[in-house]
Amino acid sequence: MTSLVVNGRSVEVDDDPRTPLLYVLRDTLQLNGAKFGCGLGQCGACTVIVDGAPVFSCQTPIADIAGRHVTTVEGLGTRQRPGIMQQAFIDEQAAQCGYCIAGMIMRAQALIERTATPADDEIRAALEPNLCRCGTHSRILRAVRRAVRARQAAMAGGLSSPGLPG
Amino acid sequence: MPVSRRAVLSASGALIVSFAVGLPISARAQRRGRTADTALPGSLDSTPMLDSWLRIDARGITVFTGKAELGQGIQTALIQLAAEELAVEPRAITLVAADTARTPNEGYTAGSHSMQDSGTAIMNAAAQAREILVGLASARLQQDRTKLKAEQGAVAAPDGRRIAYAELVSDRTLHVRAEPGSPLGDPAHRRVMGRSWPRVDIPAKVLGEVAFIQDLRLPGMVHARVVRAPSYGARLLSVDSAPVADLPGVLSVVRDGSYLAVVAQR
Repeated sequence: MTSLVVNGRSVEVDDDPRTPLLYVLRDTLQLNGAKFGCGLGQCGACTVIVDGAPVFSCQTPIADIAGRHVTTVEGLGTRQRPGIMQQAFIDEQAAQCGYCIAGMIMRAQALIERTATPADDEIRAALEPNLCRCGTHSRILRAVRRAVRARQAAMAGGLSSPGLPG
Repeated sequence: MPVSRRAVLSASGALIVSFAVGLPISARAQRRGRTADTALPGSLDSTPMLDSWLRIDARGITVFTGKAELGQGIQTALIQLAAEELAVEPRAITLVAADTARTPNEGYTAGSHSMQDSGTAIMNAAAQAREILVGLASARLQQDRTKLKAEQGAVAAPDGRRIAYAELVSDRTLHVRAEPGSPLGDPAHRRVMGRSWPRVDIPAKVLGEVAFIQDLRLPGMVHARVVRAPSYGARLLSVDSAPVADLPGVLSVVRDGSYLAVVAQR
């Protein structure tokens, strides 16, 4: 058994410790956010946040993250209350097919949690590992900039946990 | 299928219990004697019954399309068309897309045909349904139909009387063939078409809800991997599937001519 903390919830899974986190998230825990794209850590569709850092969940065996905190896009918000990054992607209509978007959102979320006001080249550099084949890049950049502004406004307004629900 | 659908719908109180599944598009070519005068617009030509495309009942308005959302935004665009011609807000429409048990068979979603074929069908079907509703209201209200107006999901008379669409329809109301000509709304007075609407498929995609075929998990579902030939035209001469069939989790090796696939539990 491996103990994980996924979106704030402790779970015990009996998958082989070598199993990629992505498979456990999708198949065992039935979460849809992280996507299988290439399975090789080359596209970023599987990106989730582990202890504050973006990781390719397809390349991360669950043994490596026992006891650590995993956040998927489901952990950022709900339909009634989307997270700041999710709302920014909705507002900017920053998706064509949308398959890469959950990974984009997680990598961008990790960025703004580390760097409150990233410069444009920092946003571009941070998102570089994530591929979008539809060509939605301009909208994605606009969405991240919008989220940065929204987060600043929320912090100025005294919200305790911007970007996270509750 | 028709029997179980009927049972389900009558049990759930729907007013329209019949359903017409049209011929696939390939059957169009087999039809004879069709002229420009009798051809129906878009996919109505292969699926001509209005209730294949629209259902109006106490639960609201449901629109059916055989085309799939691939991120091109057709769910939103098709809802716009139906909302425009039925004189309702887009949020009043529920769209059912590419469900083999429920929607018309419109073949592939490819080649920029979704609006041309399905969109045209839905727009014309919605316009014809609206006129049927106005006609029913005309009889009910004893008012000349030219004095009546479809708006916000109801037919309204100049004296302020209104009858909601759901009160006008019965189970056979839309079980009629489409006509070649449709009373489409005046483009100069469009409220919904021609404007940008937020895509209805995006929230599910950014929230991690079920949005992709990969997100479907059915009871007892197993998975298959097709073993592709190394080149076009290659033929499978022989395969020794025994070593694979004994691997853990493998359920079967399927061969049909040169087609080869391995079925396994996840």
